Parts: sequence; C-alpha cells; structure tokens
Amino acid sequence: MDHAYRSGTRRIVVALRQTAPRCFQVVVDGEPHAAEATVLDAGLLEVAIDGHVRALPVARIGDAYHVAIDGQVYVLTPESADAADDDPGALAPPQIVAPMPGKVLQVLVRIGQAVAADEGLLVLEAMKMEHRIAAEAPATVTAVHVADGQMVDAGAVLIELEYH
Amino acid sequence: MFKRVLIANRGEIAVRIARACRELGAAPLAVYSEADRHALHVRVCEGAACIGPPPSRESYLNIDAILAAARELDADAVHPGYGFLAENASFATAVTEAGLTFVGPPAEAIAAMGDKARARAIAATAGVPLVPAVENLSADFGEVRGAAESLGYPLLVKATGGGGGKGMRIVAATGELEAALAAASREAAAAFGDGRVYLERYFERPRHVEVQILADQFGDIVHLGERECSIQRRYQKIVEESPSPGVSPALRRQLTAAAIAAAQRVGYANAGTVEFLVSEAGEFYFLEMNTRLQVEHPITEWVTGVDLVQAQLRIAAGERLWLRQADLRARGHAIECRIYAEDPTQHFLPSPGIIRYLREPQAPGVRVDSGIAAGSEVPVHYDPLLAKLSVWGADRDAARRRVIAALREYSVLGVTTNVAFLVAVAAHPAFAAGRTHTHFLAEHLADWRPDGADLPLAAIAAALHAALAAPATSNSVDAPRTPSPWQTLGGWRLGHSGQ
Repeated sequence: MDHAYRSGTRRIVVALRQTAPRCFQVVVDGEPHAAEATVLDAGLLEVAIDGHVRALPVARIGDAYHVAIDGQVYVLTPESADAADDDPGALAPPQIVAPMPGKVLQVLVRIGQAVAADEGLLVLEAMKMEHRIAAEAPATVTAVHVADGQMVDAGAVLIELEYH
Repeated sequence: MFKRVLIANRGEIAVRIARACRELGAAPLAVYSEADRHALHVRVCEGAACIGPPPSRESYLNIDAILAAARELDADAVHPGYGFLAENASFATAVTEAGLTFVGPPAEAIAAMGDKARARAIAATAGVPLVPAVENLSADFGEVRGAAESLGYPLLVKATGGGGGKGMRIVAATGELEAALAAASREAAAAFGDGRVYLERYFERPRHVEVQILADQFGDIVHLGERECSIQRRYQKIVEESPSPGVSPALRRQLTAAAIAAAQRVGYANAGTVEFLVSEAGEFYFLEMNTRLQVEHPITEWVTGVDLVQAQLRIAAGERLWLRQADLRARGHAIECRIYAEDPTQHFLPSPGIIRYLREPQAPGVRVDSGIAAGSEVPVHYDPLLAKLSVWGADRDAARRRVIAALREYSVLGVTTNVAFLVAVAAHPAFAAGRTHTHFLAEHLADWRPDGADLPLAAIAAALHAALAAPATSNSVDAPRTPSPWQTLGGWRLGHSGQ
C-alpha cells in the first residue's frame, strides 16, 4: 500500500508491499528497495534496506512519525496517498509493478482468477532475495503481463487487478 | 570533606555535581520544583526536597525554601551550580549565616564582580585592559564627535542602563553618529527608562576567550588555560573549545596573567572565570568575571585532567591548593556542544515537551553531561539546555571530527533540538579553519535549514513502522496505533530462544 507523508514543504510517497513476515518491497522516489524491518523496543526500528542494517528511532507523536537519522529528526505527517481521495485506507493502484529490477520466478495467478487479501500473485527474485508479491485486498486478476523466468525492469507492470 | 551537600540547582549541572559529591564520599542532596518531581537530578541524589511551584522565582530562586530544604535534609554545604542563585551574593551570605558552607567564592567577591562598573574598576587597577570607551558624554554634539574620532570608527553606541543589544547601534563613520546617538538613546529610554548612552570601540570579528582559574582560601591561585566560546546565538554560547585556535602562546601568557591578577585583586577563592574579548589583531580586553562554575567547564577538565567540581568542593572544605602551575599542562583539544531543546530554524525558539526517545552517543573520548532521560519532561519554566556533549581529540581537527560523529549518533525524539545545527557549525569550513568569532553564526549560518537528505529513508522507516504496527493483511481502521512487543516481535516469545 502507498504511504504518503508531508515533511515541511516536501511530500513523499512510499509504496510498500509485504513479501514475508517483516520483509517488504519498497518504492520511494521511483527507487525500489528491499527492506526487512523489526521493531526492537519502544521506538527503535531495526531496518535492513538493500542489505544495509540500521537502527532508527521512530516515534509516533500525535499523527506524525518522528524519525532520527544521523543527528537530523524528520517529522512526517501522513497524508492521503491520492490527493483527490481522502480515504486514509486507500488501496494501492490496482497495477502491480516491479519494485526493482529482477526475475519473475513464478506467476501464481491467471487472468480472471479471484484472489483474497494477502494472497500471493507472483514471486520475484531481486537483489538475491525472493519477494512474494501479494494482493492487498480481495480482487480479480484482470491482466498478467509476465511469465515465469522473465527479467523485468523496475516499474514494469506485472499484473493488473480489480479490487472487489 | 562535607558529609551532605545540597545542590541548589537542576538539570545536567545538578547531575554533574551529584557525581562529584559521591566520588568524594559526600551524599548529594537534591531540591526540585513541582515541575521536576520526576527529573533525573532528583533520582541520582540520596535525598531530595520540594522547594515550591514550577516558576523559578518560587523555587530555584527562593532562598528561604532552599535553606529550609538544607535544614530538612541535614546538609552541611550548598553547591549553587551555575545560573539561578550562583552569582547572588545575598544567597552566599544567607548560606554562610545559616551555618553551612557555600561552595563558591566569598560573597564580597561575587558582589564586586557582579557590579559592571566595579568589575571594570577592579580590572583596571589590576592592570587588565578594558575595551576603549567614552563614558559621560557631553550634551554638546561637537564634543561627542571629537571624542568619537579619538576613539576611532567603527564604534558602538551602547545604553548605560542595560544590555541584551537594546539601545545599541554600530556607527561606521562620522556621518552616521548623530542619528545613531538619537536612535540608541530613544530605544534605551523605552527599554530601561534611562536614555543615557556611551561610546565603545567596535570589533568586527572578536573572539570570546575566557580563562579558568582555581584559588584556595589561602591566597594560592592557578589558571587552567583558556576556553574559546565565540559561537553564540542570542548572546549565549553553544559551542566552546579549549584551547582557543586564536590564542598564541604569547597571548596565552598575557591572558592568564591578567586573569590571575584580576582574581587576586578581588580576593577570590574557589573556581572562577575571567572573560575577555580578543580582537582580530590579537589585542585583548576584560569583559567580566563569572564567579561560579561555568557551563563549559568539561572542556577544561578534558585537556587538564582536573575535575573542577571536585576541586570546588575540596577548596570549599578548606583544602590547600594541591595543584602547582608548573604541573598544569593542556593536552590535546576539547570541544563542547550544548544540546538545547530549541528550533534553529525558528530563531532558536525553545521547544518544551516530553522526551519520547533518547540515545546519547558513547565512544572513546566522548562525554555527555545530561540532565534528561527517556520519558522525562522538558518543562517550559527553565532554560532548555538538555545536555552537553564534549569530546577530546589529540588535536583540534581530531576533536572536531569526533564531535561531528558523536552528534550524528545523538537521537532525541519528542522535542526539537539543535543537534543538526551543531553538526553544521562543526562541519563548516570556517570553523574547521579556526576562523571563529562572535558573529560567526550571523555571518555563516543565518539561513541554515536541515538538508533533509535522508527524507526517503525516514519515510520508509515511518511506513515500515506503520505496517508493523498495523499489519497490511488487516484493513481495519481500528488497528492499534501503538504496537506492543507481542504484536511486533514476530516469532519471539517469552521463554523460547529466537525461532
């Protein structure tokens, strides 16, 4: 799902897709990353991004997230991911895109198939890790653009869905 | 040595003094206002008494309440720290009259150095240069103009009755003098009810340099070198270092001799600091004497190896000075950064609040004098100094690199701090080159904003935190906002090793 934040005058959107417990594929500023995250104790998030492990203090104060990195504190206020849509629970667009360059290991669905929330759609291998890409909500698969073994670039449309 | 020392202060300095007491075998005793009941300084002492409501004048400035606390807690000495009552001669007198020992200089020395005019007179009789000035200006403008020309331009018009930049004008040339006199006088009259002004020589890029001295009660006195404290905002220091990059060995000899002469002239005992202005040309002038422990004392402790707070206690307890000048030698370089709860992008506006997360740096040569803990409140009532980060390095650049690295490890969430701004100061090429002066921040960092370079990473962290707090499989809007470890620690369970 997309998380949009305002920080001062800047707006930033993070596309997050869970691939395994604590494992995510992340796209931010058009850059795809593989992330593994654990909340260590009150307020400390251990996060490995593309293999680089860091422990980042994160606190939710009011609505905003405060994150300390290298002596700077970032204050991020959640916003609607779609400026025209104020529903805070808005789902990601029904196109499943490759979060990073990689190889499609296995397509798990076919056109017309109904999938449940969190049901796997395909498995992508990228940065030497397997990422299971799942549906965020119940949906019907309306298009499949890739096949097993295919190499894809970051941002390539893999599968299209129609949410129920 | 004393048995029980009441610390008439709060915050990091109260914690610092408590440690020194404990190491000397004296029980540290705290006082606290109602706003500080849960403060760190209360927890580290061996006894504590509430001295009143949150406003300082009803608690930390309330002499009667503090003396009552000293009686209640059975103290035999009182350490005032800095600020609050530290330079209040009446307090020193009241402590002594109550039969307790005041850990500081004699009340007469505090009173003499606390009066601007008397302090200048004392310095002058001790042969210490004063900033050239023309006081008692004539009503005749022609005479004033003549006096100004003899003083030289640029010069400063200053209010006789006050400070803090009010009623102050910089005059670059004769043509501006008459208008500046009128404007400064109007402003001074409005601010202080006293329109009198005087002329003083103006320095473009002066350094603030101060000399630490220690004197016992028997007339022995030593200096512990200088500190430079030029990096100031709103006339308050935020970065200090020792030794000063702008002081030559020859100038150091002059400064330290002048500091000792001024202290001797006033019959000083205990720790004190004589402050000087050093011009770009290397001339120095007396500013004032601080008759107390200085905020930035740790950098002197780093380079000399002398524990100044323990020295204060030992001197107050009647010990003869155990340090000889010949044995005191500064080693390496130390830098201190003051960690304030304030917003450097909003004119350093204080930022009170609750500390939600705290990680202070730890590394070789790194010291944190802290007055806060995770969960503690930064009250609106007091100075927003949270802690002091000080580091030691074999030379200035090693210390500078070390302080930058340590600042980057500093994490405080819940209140806005100046940590990122301090990184910008220490990383600035002019600071690296030692070209420091009291207008440094105005000249180099007036428009500073955090670079925000790691915003994408911060956004990822926020999104991951949100996802782990409320798993993506659940679209429930009622998902808990604050994760409990049981929800977020994955396979970990009490009594089992990691799965």
